[in-house]
Amino acid sequence: MALQTSLFDIDNWREIGATLARNKTRTFLTAFGIFWGTMMLSLLWGGSNGLEGLLMRNFAGLDTNMAGLFTSRTSKPYKGFNKARRWNLDQNDLDNIRSNVEDVDKATGVYQSWGQMSFGDKSSNGQIIGIEPDYLRMNSVILKSGRLINESDLAGSRKVAVIGDKVADQIFPGIEYSDVAGRDISLRGVYYKIVGVAKQIGEASVAGRIDDSALIPLSTMRQVESGSGNRIDVILVSPKPGVKVKELLPRIRRQVYPIHSIHPADEEALDCFDLSEIFEMVSNMFLGLTLLSIFVGFGSLMAGIIGVGNIMWIIVRERTHEIGIRRAIGARPSSIIIQILSESMVLTTIAGVAGIVFSTIVLHIIDMATAEPGLPACGFTLTFSNAMIVLATFMILGTAAGVLPAIKAMRIKPIEAINDK
Amino acid sequence: MIITLNDVNKTYPGAVPLHVLKGINLEIDRGELVAIMGASGSGKSTLLNILGILDNYDTGTYTLNGTLIRDLSENRAAELRNKLIGFVFQSFNLIGYKNAVENVALPLYYQGVGRRQRNRLAMEQLERMGLADRAHHLPGELSGGQKQRVAIARSLITNPALILADEPTGALDSRTSKEVMQVFRDLNAEGMTIVIVTHDPGVAAQCKRVIRISDGLIVPDNTITAAGSTTVTTPDNA
Repeated sequence: MALQTSLFDIDNWREIGATLARNKTRTFLTAFGIFWGTMMLSLLWGGSNGLEGLLMRNFAGLDTNMAGLFTSRTSKPYKGFNKARRWNLDQNDLDNIRSNVEDVDKATGVYQSWGQMSFGDKSSNGQIIGIEPDYLRMNSVILKSGRLINESDLAGSRKVAVIGDKVADQIFPGIEYSDVAGRDISLRGVYYKIVGVAKQIGEASVAGRIDDSALIPLSTMRQVESGSGNRIDVILVSPKPGVKVKELLPRIRRQVYPIHSIHPADEEALDCFDLSEIFEMVSNMFLGLTLLSIFVGFGSLMAGIIGVGNIMWIIVRERTHEIGIRRAIGARPSSIIIQILSESMVLTTIAGVAGIVFSTIVLHIIDMATAEPGLPACGFTLTFSNAMIVLATFMILGTAAGVLPAIKAMRIKPIEAINDK
Repeated sequence: MIITLNDVNKTYPGAVPLHVLKGINLEIDRGELVAIMGASGSGKSTLLNILGILDNYDTGTYTLNGTLIRDLSENRAAELRNKLIGFVFQSFNLIGYKNAVENVALPLYYQGVGRRQRNRLAMEQLERMGLADRAHHLPGELSGGQKQRVAIARSLITNPALILADEPTGALDSRTSKEVMQVFRDLNAEGMTIVIVTHDPGVAAQCKRVIRISDGLIVPDNTITAAGSTTVTTPDNA
């Protein structure tokens, strides 16, 4: 009955409003504490999500569970060879890895060379990367026009190239990308037909930035760079889902080492650049950052809540006499408690919701400011569920902040309260 | 009997326990207008607080309107105060930020009476006190006499069995004291039981019965018939 009365009686809401309005400065400052706490929590939480998104989108387009295998000088003498011997991966190793190593999902070879790209009097220097079609599945690109390198280009060792958008800008200035496809380009003195213009999605790439490079079929590369034999610079390997690159490395070594007469225990000769590890590191870093943000944010909110508790305590002290009058004329302890709690709840709710709204606007502005066409949004947002968590937190804590003062108010004996002047 | 006290004792604990009420026996009948008189420290305020269920007593029995007032829960005490007793205090004890009609209506709020009906009943009581035109004034905008009449209106709104007044004229000048006492006498004439605690003989003289309390005990045989007396002593604290 008492609860119903207080919930639906407009007088009760008026009274809450009147109490809070009686000392406007104090109410404002208290509310500001809650507002600030909620805003800090929301901003830090949404902000750390956004920062993670901002960094992670550099990797956009990259298969995250992927590693690049590369060779170094051997570190152990073996079968009559001295240590510190140079060696290279080759097509044979690639085929071997593809067909004989368990749990390999995709493996693709890359051969890079540096050189001049030109057409007419315009030229540019960059990487010419010999690839297989799988490369573009592990390292997705935005195709601006035309098509990518495909299986039949590889099979036919065709003289075709996909060039980066920056290369296209430099060599064919002012020409639409759609008109660039179909033209010819000279790469280190050999003419290729441009079949497509592509752009990297994120900032990170495994074998050179695609925007400044030209991609040609690996088989074509071998024919042109006849001195290289079957050599491959980097083999990109992605394991099947649920398998880690680290688990693959020993298996790959077992396949590759005997052929190249490398000591089975040589840890240095073949190593990998494990993208999944870097990803995990970044994820962990941001998990840490998020936890720190939440910790700091909740701290700020707690400070605000304690402020509310403090003010409620003062309000109870100030109103001891009034509470006594109310008790004398028949207010039950529960009515008094509900009154105090509703005041504390109303104050926190209004200030807290304002904090969430304000931080949502700020985050949205940041999100728009960091937006880049073609890239996923960074996610500078407080997700709905996180907002609900924040809301629930300050509602519960804000009400709890009123509990001690309310209990204190209830403990006041009517007679003592009346005499409290 | 509306009030029956039987050997009521009250001691305030402390380093030196203070035995304030030393076995009070008292009966007050329906429709009486009673003054409880005594010097300060005599125990009359303690007695009033016990009568008003604002304080506990240690031994004895107190029966109010047929209900034994003993070891009540806070909720039950609040309910009985609300329904059976109307309080009038020396310092009015109105809530400063509520206007007259809201103050008067407040006891009904704690009964769960709806706002509209509450305010209608409160207006009726204010009209009865001749304060209809002051209904929307805050206590700070009213004179002492008006404030006390608002307080009386508030005490009447639940239609209680008993009105307990603690020095109701203590803060008023002589003229308004007379007015307020006249209000009590009129109410009593309508059948309301009224108990007034006072140290003012002029106030006591207007009551039908005076109970003197001294040193925690009721001074026997002091029933006087002063009702209708015109010799009202002017309070000297005016």
